[in-house]
Amino acid sequence: MDNVNGNAYALTILSPIKNGFIQAEEIAYADKVRDLLQGWNMLPNSPMTRVPQTYLCRYFVLDDVYTESLPGAGALDTFSDLLPYIPDFVRRGALPKGDHLKSKYLVFSCNFHGGPSGDVDAYLRGMWNAISDRIKEVWGYCYGFEQVNDAASFARYMKKCQLTASLFFVGSNDEPLEEQLKALYLKQELAKFAVANQGLSATVLRANYRDFIKRVAPANPSAPTWTAGMYRL
Amino acid sequence: MTKTLDLLDIQGHVIRAYGRFGYPVARYVFLNIADGAKGRAFVGSVTNKVTTAVNWGSGPGEIAQPAWTVNMAFSYQGLKELDLPRASLIGFSPEFVEGMKARRDILGDDGPSAPAHWDPIWRENRETRDKDVHIFIALNARLPALLEESYAWLKGKIEEYQGGVVLLGGHLGDDSAIMDYQDVKVLVEKGVPVAKEHFGYTDGIGDPVFEGVPYDADRVNGRGKQVEGGKWAALATGEFLLGHIDEAKEYPPAPNPILLSRNGTYMVYRKLHENVATFDSYLEEHGKNFPGGKELLAAKFVGRWRDNGAPLVKAPDQASKEKFDTLLDAVDDKGKDKLLCDFTYDDDMSGAKCPFSSHIRRINPRASLEFTRDPTDVPGSLKIKQDAFDTPGALTNRRRLLRRGLPYGAVRDRSRDDGNHGIIIMMLNADINRQFEFVQQQWINYGNDFKAANDKEIILGNHSTDPKFPSKAVIQVDPNSDQPPYFLSKIPRLVETRGGEYFFIPSMTALRMIARGIVDPT
Repeated sequence: MDNVNGNAYALTILSPIKNGFIQAEEIAYADKVRDLLQGWNMLPNSPMTRVPQTYLCRYFVLDDVYTESLPGAGALDTFSDLLPYIPDFVRRGALPKGDHLKSKYLVFSCNFHGGPSGDVDAYLRGMWNAISDRIKEVWGYCYGFEQVNDAASFARYMKKCQLTASLFFVGSNDEPLEEQLKALYLKQELAKFAVANQGLSATVLRANYRDFIKRVAPANPSAPTWTAGMYRL
Repeated sequence: MTKTLDLLDIQGHVIRAYGRFGYPVARYVFLNIADGAKGRAFVGSVTNKVTTAVNWGSGPGEIAQPAWTVNMAFSYQGLKELDLPRASLIGFSPEFVEGMKARRDILGDDGPSAPAHWDPIWRENRETRDKDVHIFIALNARLPALLEESYAWLKGKIEEYQGGVVLLGGHLGDDSAIMDYQDVKVLVEKGVPVAKEHFGYTDGIGDPVFEGVPYDADRVNGRGKQVEGGKWAALATGEFLLGHIDEAKEYPPAPNPILLSRNGTYMVYRKLHENVATFDSYLEEHGKNFPGGKELLAAKFVGRWRDNGAPLVKAPDQASKEKFDTLLDAVDDKGKDKLLCDFTYDDDMSGAKCPFSSHIRRINPRASLEFTRDPTDVPGSLKIKQDAFDTPGALTNRRRLLRRGLPYGAVRDRSRDDGNHGIIIMMLNADINRQFEFVQQQWINYGNDFKAANDKEIILGNHSTDPKFPSKAVIQVDPNSDQPPYFLSKIPRLVETRGGEYFFIPSMTALRMIARGIVDPT
């Protein structure tokens, strides 16, 4: 599949949002979904940090298709350039009409460590087990979500909404999340070590380095390390 | 699939002229933001009450029409004080950044309309930080008592966020009183509310209709754009709302991120004083000499008869007016609307019925700007220039303005100009420079596009009685008749600007984002 690259899996979900509104709040479902997602900005960290093996992800509400330019009128357009006696109104009449989406979509674009087999089921089950409350809040306004009541039905639902596009984020390697977080931690700590120990004698440096290695424990991916969702020092 | 707008994401003020929906009174309140974080908290709290453009209904699961409405907009200085990121701020248009006062030369706000003569709030705006107008709040109500209820609510909010926002007074009211707010209301004639302003004209008939507004679908003729064969179509949404395709098939320039601008628009707020005594005496003076009499002359100023708004194109003289009135009385509201609005200038290209300098022809020329004259034609005879552009309305469609607002004050003494009377006009458009400023500069204060040299629009033009440069306008006649055209000479300044500013009306989504401080243009 194009959406698996090594151990990384590019998951793209488009869930149609119902065309309705919450009467008491005078807010459309799609706007409510966006509002809930934007509310995550006010939390100490994104709920997605609790979902195992998430490299990077993004949520947004797709309101409508974006028009890049006026579409051409196909072959007639070309002919009208060559044959000036084709009247302009004929050419204009052949222009395709503007297209719009029938509903708005909740778009979830995510890269995770899925292993060589690209195990999307395991990831989605892990997502449900970690943040089912948040999932219900956000996806609750989408068509068909009423059929979801556990990890298995969530995985089934998501796969129905899946677009197998290879939308990979740049910036992750192929390793499990724990390995990547540990590597980032080690890189930062080593930089700090280098600055702090500049110009020391070899003996002191060696002793300090031994202490450093003991403290940062490179062979232990679980601790000490960065926590998921950490993006600044 | 046809376009449907997200009415719940658009502020009601943008789509609805509230006066037409049963809200005869309104109050406009302006605030200064003293503290960004507290100001955002205030914005968030008010946002919960902001009225959307949703289709009202009284059934279950529908949103009922409110007793009073709340809408909110910001000046550029206001958006800065709310801590919008610089990368978003630079996306707003230069004229919006500069503000109305700085644009006075383009707008023709000179002489008695110059900022030195504006109400204190507008005179002091953009001079010192603590007097800058940052937030605009419009309250519209179904009854005066309900307006007071809404104002009490707003005062409560301002109190609650004390230190965050400060109410800016400085609006001139009756007897030169300085008011904390600008009140406006529908005028009443013989106990009946009427859609008129202080000169006596029926107002607010021809507001543009654009794609995606379900409750305007049957009001397109005469209000949308004129297309081939005398037909009409709704204007492109992007002429009035950012984030939508406009008449050039492009998205209008707008700040980033798209969620900040989409479903929002720019608003031009202007307080226009009406010199009723000058108007009455000028009309009286020329009405005596004008063939057809005073009321026809009054109609020639605007393009519509004063009493019921009958368009001159359909009722060009007293006899045809009487026939029109009989027709108007006989039909239902929909029929009335059609009679008043559904017309073109195609049979009046020489301006014999509706003069080139009349108000409605200048504000919305429909398809009348694509006109020409053959050297062999009789003088003053003009005709449609066929196929000059892609569509008959090409020169007009990108200059349209949504108009909101109501009259303020009351005329107590028609022999004086200096009472408290005029109109608050709010013009909404996606591009202030291309739409409002162009119309104001080129079509109201100049006449070249109408082959009228430097004649100004008769009512709104910044006329000068300076003996060196007296204002004039021509009332055209049928070029094939023996009548001479009538010259309106030494037109005095009938309307004076008393202040105003450019505002941005965000969508509901953008309001929520501004309140949270999470506008992120990256």
